[in-house]
Amino acid sequence: MTTPKRAAFFRAEGVLVSRGVLAATAYYAANAQKFSERALRFGVVALSAPLQGLLGQNDRTLANRIAFLAARGMSEDRLAELGEEYAEDILKDKILDRGVELLKRARAEGNRVVVLSDNITEIMEPLLQHLPKIDDLVCNHLEIVDGEATGKLLDPVIGSHGDGRWAQAYAERHGLDLKACTAYGSHGTDLLLLAAVGKPCAVNPDFTLRRSAREADWPTIEYQEKD
Amino acid sequence: MRLSIDESYAGKHVLLTGASGFLGKVWLTIMLQRDPGVARYYIVLRRKATRTARQRFERIIQTSPAFRPLHERYGKDLAAFINERIELIDGDVSSDGLGIEPETAARLRRDVDLIVHCAGLVDFDPDLRDALTTNVDGTICVADFAESCAKAALLHISTCYVAGTRNGRIAEVLTPNYTPNGEDFDAAAELVDARARIAEIEAEFEGPDRAAEIHLHAIKQIRERGRNPDNPKLVKTIARRIKRQMLKDAMIEEGQDRAKRRGWTNIYTYTKSLAESVLAPRVDRLRFAILRPAIVESSLADPFPGWNQGFNTCGPLSYMLAGWFRELPLRSGNLFDVVPVDYVCNGMTIAGAALLQGDHELIYQCGTSDKNPLAIDRALDLTGLAHRKHLRRKGDTVVDRVLLARWDGVETEIDHTLSIPNIRKVTQGFAKLMRDLPARWPEAVHERARKAADRADELDGDLDTIEHLIDLYLPFIYENDFVFETNNLLKYDIPEEAFRFDPKALDWRKYWIDVHIPGLRKWCYPLFEGKTPENYKPRHKFTLDEAPASEGQPEGGLR
Repeated sequence: MTTPKRAAFFRAEGVLVSRGVLAATAYYAANAQKFSERALRFGVVALSAPLQGLLGQNDRTLANRIAFLAARGMSEDRLAELGEEYAEDILKDKILDRGVELLKRARAEGNRVVVLSDNITEIMEPLLQHLPKIDDLVCNHLEIVDGEATGKLLDPVIGSHGDGRWAQAYAERHGLDLKACTAYGSHGTDLLLLAAVGKPCAVNPDFTLRRSAREADWPTIEYQEKD
Repeated sequence: MRLSIDESYAGKHVLLTGASGFLGKVWLTIMLQRDPGVARYYIVLRRKATRTARQRFERIIQTSPAFRPLHERYGKDLAAFINERIELIDGDVSSDGLGIEPETAARLRRDVDLIVHCAGLVDFDPDLRDALTTNVDGTICVADFAESCAKAALLHISTCYVAGTRNGRIAEVLTPNYTPNGEDFDAAAELVDARARIAEIEAEFEGPDRAAEIHLHAIKQIRERGRNPDNPKLVKTIARRIKRQMLKDAMIEEGQDRAKRRGWTNIYTYTKSLAESVLAPRVDRLRFAILRPAIVESSLADPFPGWNQGFNTCGPLSYMLAGWFRELPLRSGNLFDVVPVDYVCNGMTIAGAALLQGDHELIYQCGTSDKNPLAIDRALDLTGLAHRKHLRRKGDTVVDRVLLARWDGVETEIDHTLSIPNIRKVTQGFAKLMRDLPARWPEAVHERARKAADRADELDGDLDTIEHLIDLYLPFIYENDFVFETNNLLKYDIPEEAFRFDPKALDWRKYWIDVHIPGLRKWCYPLFEGKTPENYKPRHKFTLDEAPASEGQPEGGLR
């Protein structure tokens, strides 16, 4: 069987699940080993919250980097266990049914299905078993040294404008025709990704993406958790 | 170096001691399950109280969950399977000739190829007399028996912790007359001296001064219980009980002194090291090897994931951390050398095969600290995560599910403000304060204060237990940092995959959270709560055959 020549790119946050990085990092912060650590880590998450709001519509790199500083010094074991727990107990229930339908349809149409997420592997991999089969997961990775997270997100950080360039490189690597590819994004940071493909679609767009989608005449889909 | 387990064991006769213990039982079940072609297993078991060896063995196979996979595999044919492979020998490893009836002993001396000596007392601080009898005399008797056999080699199971309170890398070497502090030492003389001291203590307890002291204790105890101290029979019974306990305490104290004086952590490691020392001089006349496991814990896969038996090192510590106790003194980075029991069993099988092939090493250390180290702080974190996983879903109360599940154990220093001794000072002070209230205060206040003081005493009792446990474990979690070199077991190329010993393959997170702690919860924690862990109830009753079992074995299945 030959590899499909087209792909469908899905931004996880806003398209497939209704929770983003802040909720995940807050969960990590709230469940650190020591009580004293929890307060401190919460502070870091709180610090990144306005940045997510202010800069999140353009580039989330800085906001994501700061948010995941909350995991600094946390053991690899705890990251994995809490990630699994968060995916199973919280994120699974925040999966957007309409997003799942889009994903299934893309697959049925013969697309290679790629999910991009600002979240980290420890959360996204356990979540995958609750989503229809996908071909690739591209998400953030925390740097681990001697079994502990340094708090640094490894480059390239997903959630930046770099995602557009990444999509081009990915298409070259897999012999994809980007003009035949589809992308579903929900934030301003997805603009270059959507612009790179032939069939862009804005899902539950934020202000920046909504305006751009309107100007570019991209289709827009709106749905909520209970849709 | 290629070492085939099947080729080494095919047609061989293996004698096993300690089959009722955790390690011996698992090794036996694994060997029976994987069946590398052993012609006959001889299980030496002693009678205990009113139970004969046969009754004990039948009960083990009938009720021990370790035999569940065999029951499930063979069903009603298990009895025939066992009878074909096993001969039960009524004996006692700490007696001359292993206490085996002469005719049977002569046959065993002729036939046995390998003796696996698992029998041992593994309590950290038992009565010195029991520890010497089982761990040292038992080894001497088994070694004597092995020497008297026509062709038998001996695999003696010891422990890595014979190293005592030393730090750093511990090599796989046998040092005759070893002491951890490096002093001149003569193990034989130490044994003579220890026995002389035991006799002295026993004599002291037979003297009139002790008798008077014990009598007074008995009277006091009877009065406290509100019973009649003028009943001579009752006084005699209580006095006998007190004497037994006091004598045991004195023996434990003597054992601890002897162990600590030379640098061992406890009576167990002291007596195990003595046993190695008594074996060392036999190196020229007996084919033997010593396998030193580290901390033997729940099985990873065989006989089934999570199987554990009795009290062990992780059990009490992790049990404490499942409750309100959260501050554990430990030193970050110190290695905690835990090894699953089925890994140890594979190590035993490999060492046994090497002995059978005559291509063995003297010492095989069987741990993980060398090849796949687990730091004690990581073990603490994993324990917290495992409790969290369980309590969040299956906690008995809302407090368990919401609060305890999110209250992880943390490392502290010994002299931490909230250390157990400090908390005990507070509870004891509180109890004293409640009992010393001014007499003029109303009786109702006194009544309540008395109740509060009693509650504080109860709490103090619990804290005393925890303090004692922590003291026992401090050498392993705080004071010492060992790396037990584990090279000798890894030098063989084992073609049979199931028998390989591969510490690097152990995924600590999966093992600890999904296998080990759930296993302890099922098989060990009930013991701490005065309950009995569930027994296995097979569909088919197991009975040992008394008839001759197979051709060439005219003496039959049970002795």
